[in-house]
Amino acid sequence: MLILLPILFMLITALTLVILRFVRPNFKYPWMIAAGGSVLALISIFLWQIRLPQSISMAPWQPVNLFFFAPTWLADGISWPYALSMIALAAAVIWTSVVRAESSPSAWAATLLLTALGILAVGAENPLTLVLVWSAIDLAELVAMLRSTEGEEQNQGVVIAFAARLAGTGLVLWANLVSTAGGILMSFRATPASAGIYLLIAAGLRLGVLPLHLPYRKENVLRRGFGTTLRLVSAAASLSLLARIPASALKSSLVPFLLVLAAVAALYAGWMWLRASDEILGRPFWVLGMASLSVAASLNGNPSGSIGWGVMLILGGGLLFLFSARQRNITWLPLLGLWGLSTLPFSPTASAWQTGNQTFWLAVIPFLPAQGLFMAGFIRHALHPGETSLESQERWTKVLYPTGLFMLAAMAILLGIWGWEGAGNLGQWWAAVIANVLAAGFTALALTVLVRLKPASSSSQWTRLFRLEWVYKTMTVFYDFFYRIAGLLTSSLEGEGGLLWSLLLLALILSVLSTQGR
Amino acid sequence: MSAPVLWIFLPLLVAGCLLLVRNRKVIALVACIFTLLLTLAAWLLPIDTVMTIGSWSFKLSSSFEILGRHLVLGSNDRTLLVLVYGSAIAWFAAAPAIKAARRLSSLGLAITALLVAALAVEPFLYAALLIEMAVLLSIPLLSAPGEKPGRGLIRFLIFQTLGMPFILFSGWLLAGIEANPGDLGLVQQAAILIGLGFSFLLAVFPFSSWIPLLMEEASPYTVGFILWMFPTVVLFFGLGFLDHYTWLRDAPALGSILTTVGILMVVSGGLLAAFQRHLGRILGYAVIMETGFSILTISLGGTVGLNIFFMLLVPRSLSLAVWAFALTILKEDSPTLMLGDIKGLGRAWPFATCGLVLANLALAGMPLLAGFPPHQAIWEGLASNSLPVVSWVLLGTSGLIFSAIRVILAFASGSTAANWESRETGAQRVLLTIGFLALLLLGLFPQWVVPLWTNLPAIFTHLGQ
Repeated sequence: MLILLPILFMLITALTLVILRFVRPNFKYPWMIAAGGSVLALISIFLWQIRLPQSISMAPWQPVNLFFFAPTWLADGISWPYALSMIALAAAVIWTSVVRAESSPSAWAATLLLTALGILAVGAENPLTLVLVWSAIDLAELVAMLRSTEGEEQNQGVVIAFAARLAGTGLVLWANLVSTAGGILMSFRATPASAGIYLLIAAGLRLGVLPLHLPYRKENVLRRGFGTTLRLVSAAASLSLLARIPASALKSSLVPFLLVLAAVAALYAGWMWLRASDEILGRPFWVLGMASLSVAASLNGNPSGSIGWGVMLILGGGLLFLFSARQRNITWLPLLGLWGLSTLPFSPTASAWQTGNQTFWLAVIPFLPAQGLFMAGFIRHALHPGETSLESQERWTKVLYPTGLFMLAAMAILLGIWGWEGAGNLGQWWAAVIANVLAAGFTALALTVLVRLKPASSSSQWTRLFRLEWVYKTMTVFYDFFYRIAGLLTSSLEGEGGLLWSLLLLALILSVLSTQGR
Repeated sequence: MSAPVLWIFLPLLVAGCLLLVRNRKVIALVACIFTLLLTLAAWLLPIDTVMTIGSWSFKLSSSFEILGRHLVLGSNDRTLLVLVYGSAIAWFAAAPAIKAARRLSSLGLAITALLVAALAVEPFLYAALLIEMAVLLSIPLLSAPGEKPGRGLIRFLIFQTLGMPFILFSGWLLAGIEANPGDLGLVQQAAILIGLGFSFLLAVFPFSSWIPLLMEEASPYTVGFILWMFPTVVLFFGLGFLDHYTWLRDAPALGSILTTVGILMVVSGGLLAAFQRHLGRILGYAVIMETGFSILTISLGGTVGLNIFFMLLVPRSLSLAVWAFALTILKEDSPTLMLGDIKGLGRAWPFATCGLVLANLALAGMPLLAGFPPHQAIWEGLASNSLPVVSWVLLGTSGLIFSAIRVILAFASGSTAANWESRETGAQRVLLTIGFLALLLLGLFPQWVVPLWTNLPAIFTHLGQ
């Protein structure tokens, strides 16, 4: 029951906010309710630690001879750090909204609802549960994004992103079928080697890493608050799968090839993140890059290392994206997030560069510059003047706002020491040193040379390349070709002579089948 | 009183009376209440058992003789009656909201009764004649009065009529086989005739051209009703064949033939759906795919296959109804229903567009939606036999998903300057919301509808064992 407690708190709070909006539209304290609900949820997530692991199942699907798994959720060492990070993000979004022009109870309700779905996704105990929750998140994101986009091009991006996620979900289903064909009922505990690689590609596809694709050309109007939740929670929902794929299930000849793709995605995203005009415009690259690092950890046979990048995607990203009102004396707050990205001992990412048995340690080398780029970009964006100044705000907001941000930084520090099985260790110190030295170099470069360059354009050649426009164009050519064939077929069958064509086709099919039968 | 009188002749009589009524609301109300009563009666009244109410006792006998033939509705058929008339209520209840009640309620009720008669008649080969009568009754339903019938309607009539003699001829041969079971030539001829007959009746590719044509010509809701009723009843009729003839049921090639036909329908339907630019035609191809899935479940064999076959029925009915209902609403705004003409409709008709997309994704088997549990069971069943077979099935499914993506893109494109509004009427909004919720709830709790079909395998003496 403890597993449901944070979800219930969030759902009840969201429902209360929605009901109040209709029943008492002039209610003055919806923020208090939202903030209170989020804090209760945050406290209740710590209660999971009383008994880990624990699970809860819905009524089994019937008939039981057809369905071997029921939707089940598991609170364990993988779901807890993700759940804690997401709830901390939701709480921070609501707490810091006092300085932004976001006072809509609907947005807070949506933030809480989406976070609840995110927790259900990271807690999925089996692939069936995971695809159910993924689909719920995908549909919610599709509706939310389509309602807020500002142009046909963005709409197209939203639909392409939905299609890519659907394809990712399809790959999980395919992995299950491959496993079934091999006589194994696939669960996260028993993933055959033949299916593991599909699970990883599924997560990579949903995250835009495998193959690298960026459906969104630019960020939409859902900027700081709900937009941050939407982007980070939906990414976390996919990332949690990486931590559940056992290293033994990733013994495939495709692994080196996928590592190269992940490295390309990480380096490209890191460079674009560093060069972005501000953190919000760079947000798609942050998600892409951190996801690439997480995918790389999993490919390196280190699934628990992927959690480090996953939680920092949420906590580090949240810290920076919610840091809209700035003042010199709180600049240290987002820079605390840098600690989480450093891979130094006892940071959440400390275990990120450990490799499993089957991967050579040199496989991490291409990812170190990418990490450096992300850290440099983080510093660069944290030092921007920001959208507003905190000094002009009221006194109470000057307390609430940094407290909301501090929650994220504190969770990052806490998770580094006491997060999951892979946390609280020294990690690969040499990799951390190299990455931090590179980060220092890139930061110097960013603050001296890059400021003189034009910011990265969303229509640059590289961006166009990685947005896979060339793939879509090639696909369109193929589509038009097959469209003509389909048109020919249907016009023949539906035309005046359709009846005769039908009989002729039937004769042909029967003759082909009878030939094959012999 | 006999069960056939209650569930066949009485509905025919009421349908005839409804044709004389002019008031649309009265027609819809009477049809709904009457169908509801028939459903409740099927659920509650035992057949061939004496019931006593106070001093009055009566028995609902299972058989009724007419023209030397028997119509038999036994106790085992009650679940089927609940399903058929229960789903008919859903179709009739939503019809007034899109002004389709007048003809659908009366003729639809008559068609339902005739199709029930097709399942009840003995010898059961005569079902082909009753199905043909239902086809003929569908003509005034699908064609607007005073208008020249379109090519799809004519094609529908031709293909369904062609199916009838094949079935009847096969019956004639089957009588010969029963007398002389060793005559392999006769067995082969009978099998070919049965195959051809069902190919016409079930619109197996390439005899499926009438479905997309009809979807273009007639009201999507009315065609949706026809596309739900006919394939469902014909599939039951086909199962009756398998149940009745041991040589057919035990034929070694049966499984592979059914698998091939099922794959052909799923792949042709899915891939052709991916290339359509008319919303109605996409629905038509989805129906072809669904029939293919039903055939695939039969190919799985045993009670597992039969259970999945019945499990498909409720989600399919629901998805079809929501899809056809949404299409009919959109047709008011965009009569052509071409992708190019529906751009941006999502902003003006959010409920209808959501309903259409969700129903499309549900029929494609997207997780969380009603179609997922049975489709997942089919995929797993096929995968445990052969991975290449399930790959073909997934290819067809991805075609339908691709069409859904194109539709979403069309709804979302167009001017974004227009404000979000809802042009649907209150009744349409309520019905579509019920539809969304049902699609979602059945995707999460498929066990809720198990009681509706759990007794259906008992209809079949051999297959259900």
